[in-house]
Amino acid sequence: MGNIWEIIFATDFIFSVVRVTTPILLAALGAIVSDRAGVVNIGLEGIMLMAAITGVVISAQTQSAFIGLFAAVCAGILIALILGYFVLEMKSNIILGGIAVNLFASGGSVFLLYVLTGEKGTSSSLASKVVPNINIPIIKDIPIIGEIISGHNLITYIAILSVVAVYLMLNKTPMGTKIRSVGENYHAAESVGINVKKVRYIALGLSGMFAGFGGAFLSMGYVSWFSRDMSAGRGWIALAAEAMGGGNTIGTTITALIFGFAQAFANSLQGLNIPSELITIIPNVVTVLGLCIFAITKTTKVRKVKANEKNNN
Amino acid sequence: MKKVKFLALLLLVSIIILTGCTSINGDSKPTQTGDETPEENLSAILLIPGVLGDKSFFDSAYNGLKMIEEQYGATVRVVEMTGDFTKWEPNFMDAVEGDWDIIFSGSDTSEMLYNYSLRYPDQKFINFDSNMSDAAPNLYSMEYKANELSFLAGAVAALVTESDMELANEDALIGFLGGMDIPGINDFLIGYIEGAQYINPDIKVMVSYAGVFTDPPKGKELGILQYNSGVDISFNVAGGTGLGLLDAAKEQNKYAIGVDSDQAVMFEETDPDKSPHILTSAIKKIDYAMLDAVEKHLDGSLEYGVNVKVGLAEGAVGLAKNVYYEQLSESDRAIIDELEDKLAKGEIKVGTAYGLTAEEMNVIRDAVKP
Repeated sequence: MGNIWEIIFATDFIFSVVRVTTPILLAALGAIVSDRAGVVNIGLEGIMLMAAITGVVISAQTQSAFIGLFAAVCAGILIALILGYFVLEMKSNIILGGIAVNLFASGGSVFLLYVLTGEKGTSSSLASKVVPNINIPIIKDIPIIGEIISGHNLITYIAILSVVAVYLMLNKTPMGTKIRSVGENYHAAESVGINVKKVRYIALGLSGMFAGFGGAFLSMGYVSWFSRDMSAGRGWIALAAEAMGGGNTIGTTITALIFGFAQAFANSLQGLNIPSELITIIPNVVTVLGLCIFAITKTTKVRKVKANEKNNN
Repeated sequence: MKKVKFLALLLLVSIIILTGCTSINGDSKPTQTGDETPEENLSAILLIPGVLGDKSFFDSAYNGLKMIEEQYGATVRVVEMTGDFTKWEPNFMDAVEGDWDIIFSGSDTSEMLYNYSLRYPDQKFINFDSNMSDAAPNLYSMEYKANELSFLAGAVAALVTESDMELANEDALIGFLGGMDIPGINDFLIGYIEGAQYINPDIKVMVSYAGVFTDPPKGKELGILQYNSGVDISFNVAGGTGLGLLDAAKEQNKYAIGVDSDQAVMFEETDPDKSPHILTSAIKKIDYAMLDAVEKHLDGSLEYGVNVKVGLAEGAVGLAKNVYYEQLSESDRAIIDELEDKLAKGEIKVGTAYGLTAEEMNVIRDAVKP
């Protein structure tokens, strides 16, 4: 058992938790914004994939990681807006639209790769660039803390800043109020003159932007190439994190961290004497447990409210 | 009336255009004359239960088909049936009705190949990567001795970790990253362990399974963990996930062994700093095995109705020996050459994971656990 504690308190481990969490957290932020506006974007998985391939292709063409990153984020926004067009203008179902985005991205990213490189598996023949890791001046020299906080990929820091930005945006700005009111009751929002369609476009665009950063992290930060279906379920885990976090920024960030922790912990346990099947289910068990706890707390709250109502009557 | 005529014309044109586009990656169907003189006008179709671009056995099989086309002027076609197995049966139906001399397929379609070869006794089938032992009189099945191949990889890893090479450390600890805990992967593992133990009986092997074949970030994460725990060379057998290990090797400045294709050469142009970390790759040479089978088919010596296990002796498996491999000392390379020779002659017998229970597999893994 001593080994397990050694693993958890190692700086390498905490560092890897942050790294594993980054793409999940970014996609989860995307899920929050769209969900709060009442348009649940389940196409995050697909948007991440398309952003990942776009980043690789454009950075290889321009030989600039930053133009690649910019293009990846633009691709994310674009796809989210296309989804928005079908949902908001053509009145298609948002869930079906999201499924379509995921299916399109899984095949479309490979098709794009094939057209551009003649490869169908990985983009190893493209000399794409990687977004650099950042050593924070001063902090990096502090023992332990420096090892954990400094030296991450630029996109990881963008993710952390995004948490703050999303929190402030949703809770402190007029735009945030609009997004929340549209999500709560769009008829009411409409009646006070809010342009519901516009707000939802903006919310979807933002969710595409965050998922785009998440996708770019996969192919331009984590590893240095694109490979088919490399988002590997992270978009779905992000949706679970958002649901478990109750749709608020802080709760979702914490659940994303829990998922990242479970994933990194499962990776670390591989070194110990535990059957691999048990290890691979840890993140999934944590997800199910988390959702159960969420559901139980919610139902008890509802019960309490109902009990109060009865008493009052 | 004019409109109707126009529409009819449009329909006709579109039918012509559409039907003109249906040929898949190759020449049109073989003509009936193929039946009279099959030797002069060989035709072969390759049914892939997946898509090309895996940089592994499907690409290798396609390469074999292209070699057959070049060498024998054969009419060939490749069909990517995708991973959706409901599409396999219709493609098999099309193939058996299409007058092909040889139908190639393999891997996940082994059972389907066997069933079809019983139903169509006049059709010749070749399984390029079999995973079952049933034999039919018109089916030739090839199975690769992955364990022999990874025995060599294990020997390389053990030699490297003991050597005074630049990036090797003191510990006699090597790594293995598998895609899943399944016999196909464990067969590699057993050969790897035995090969390493042949060089150093006390060697320790750190084994990780990703549980997924398409998640390179996870492969990288597991790779970093291995290298941080004192592993200085690790072998990836995990498809796309395994590519992450190669990234980890570059980042942590350690060594890795590739699989399926020459992965050092694969990254040579786009990521020249990574290739030197990939000392060698363990490759199943499906293309050469297919070419060999066709050659035998043409001179009538191919033993249909037999499951053949091809290995080093047949040149069907081998290590990639490129410039990066030459980082190994001359004496170490001589040891590998000697082992290749012994394996080919059958002087060394390598164990296999097929037929082992999970408990037996655990005993083997636990014995080398660090």
